[in-house]
Amino acid sequence: MLSRSLPLLLVSLVTSPLLAQSTPQSPEPEPSIQNLLSRMEQLEKRIAELEDHERKQATTTLPADSSSQTGAGIKLADSGAGPAPAPHSEHMGSATEEREAQIHYPSLQIRGFGDVDFSATDQKGSVSGFDLGQFVLHFASPLSQKVSSFAELSFTAQPNTYEVNVERTIIRYDYNDYFKMSFGKYHTPIGYWNTAFHHGAWLQTTVARPQIVKFGGTFIPVHFVGLQAEGNIPSGGLGLGYNLGLGNGRNSKFSRAGDSGDVNDNRAWVANLFARPTRLYGLEVGGSYYRDKLTPNPGTNFDEWIASAYVVWSKQRPELLAEYANVHHRDLQTSQTFNTTGYYVQLAYRLPWQEDKWKPYYRFEYIHRPGVEPVWDITGTASVVDLVGSLVGVRYDITNYAAFKGEYRNFRQGVGEPRVGGAFFQTAFTF
Amino acid sequence: MRVGSKPACGVLLLGWICLGGALMAAQSHDADVAIVVHPDTPVNNLTLAEVRKVLLGERQYWNANIPVVLLIRAPVARERNVVLKTIYQMSESQFKQYWIAKIFRAESATAPKVVYSNDMANELTTAIPGAIAFIDVREVRPGTKVIRVDGRLPGEAGYPLR
Repeated sequence: MLSRSLPLLLVSLVTSPLLAQSTPQSPEPEPSIQNLLSRMEQLEKRIAELEDHERKQATTTLPADSSSQTGAGIKLADSGAGPAPAPHSEHMGSATEEREAQIHYPSLQIRGFGDVDFSATDQKGSVSGFDLGQFVLHFASPLSQKVSSFAELSFTAQPNTYEVNVERTIIRYDYNDYFKMSFGKYHTPIGYWNTAFHHGAWLQTTVARPQIVKFGGTFIPVHFVGLQAEGNIPSGGLGLGYNLGLGNGRNSKFSRAGDSGDVNDNRAWVANLFARPTRLYGLEVGGSYYRDKLTPNPGTNFDEWIASAYVVWSKQRPELLAEYANVHHRDLQTSQTFNTTGYYVQLAYRLPWQEDKWKPYYRFEYIHRPGVEPVWDITGTASVVDLVGSLVGVRYDITNYAAFKGEYRNFRQGVGEPRVGGAFFQTAFTF
Repeated sequence: MRVGSKPACGVLLLGWICLGGALMAAQSHDADVAIVVHPDTPVNNLTLAEVRKVLLGERQYWNANIPVVLLIRAPVARERNVVLKTIYQMSESQFKQYWIAKIFRAESATAPKVVYSNDMANELTTAIPGAIAFIDVREVRPGTKVIRVDGRLPGEAGYPLR
């Protein structure tokens, strides 16, 4: 069939111009079509007039030196690469478009995140079923060319109500790329995950966060109230950057930040240094140090030092996240010290089929704490426990803004405890 | 006779479509994509890595007084595809996710502005201080400044955006 139609196609390609030339003139259009054509001509003329008028207005509103010169740059006429002005074949910009493109202050943008989860495990006493994940609203608004504000609210389902939390609220002043100063409540810049993914489950590859950065966990202080300086460091191809923070540190309830004030007169501080080498686009390595004084009860004080390091390859073929943190506590009365170590390694790969929708992943997690750790055991129940676990799963991006995730976890929490297996499913989205 | 002429007309039409499509593809694939900035922007030459930093939102100021204003063509435009493939090295979906995450992390207050034609990109680049856009080199108009990438202008051998 193809062999028969191919010569016909070739003949048609060669002969069609000739045929087109020899085709007799089409009959005169009907009067109604003529009317339409003349009407179209009138409208085209009218549009051209309006466009000319708007262009003249836009030109007169521009600074005199910005409309005609190319500054110190290469002039197109000189470079030889510049074409003659193109005919206006595409949609013309207009003064209205220019006005719309200019940023107006304030300019509030709102984005929402949500997820619905299902879990079933073989842990004794556990109940399988659905639950609503956090519903998160994120607000961003530039207040001027150099000042911007951000806020994040979360709504978490509780047995009888929803718990509303201000997760972040920040006002930031940018002096330049090397120095940006902000005040408010942040996600503490310790390691990578805690500042990269925040509360929207859609942003992260997996169903849940690693245990060392778990929301409501105590391994690291997830939130931080105070001030922060951040920016790039002039370093050529190394691509160095930094965060320096000073703030209230942990509350007496360690999983919470000092939103309403510090529990002692000692400020916490954090320093984070990272590199994004230009020659290895996608690679980021970094390390951070965090220092605080903990006062879980009046008269009971501990020094806290957290050292962390990470390496990330953010391209999705493959994606690698590896993060390590050591939490050091010193009892200021007895001078006893305690070290708890945690890390995770996560690998993922965006498959090149079906429009890159599938992304299988694997994560290994590990936490080891001393048998006796007065900070973790302060309430009588251990807030950080030994953990060894793996998970394997797949993410399927339904659209650019929604994903299904399914994963199997197998882990052991606590020394001598049995291993637990479970299946977890999630649909996460942004809107 | 009339029944027999229908397939012939169809083949003729198909032939013209193929020929026209091939000619248009040949024309559009030859042109480099120029990086143009507002004439007052204090840069004339950037390395590809520096262009990438600007587009990733890691460099947000040309200097202390001039913020970078990113202009990018709407999806399907060839200029956008070239930028995504050469500079971002991301798919359309990854690009969207990248900017949502960037704003969500409070690292940038605004995403790149979408422009719907090269004319619009030309006009906005001329009008907005700090603007940077990516335009088919044949459609660059006076009033903007074309910058070199790794020391090369569009049309020169080794120019990376094509």
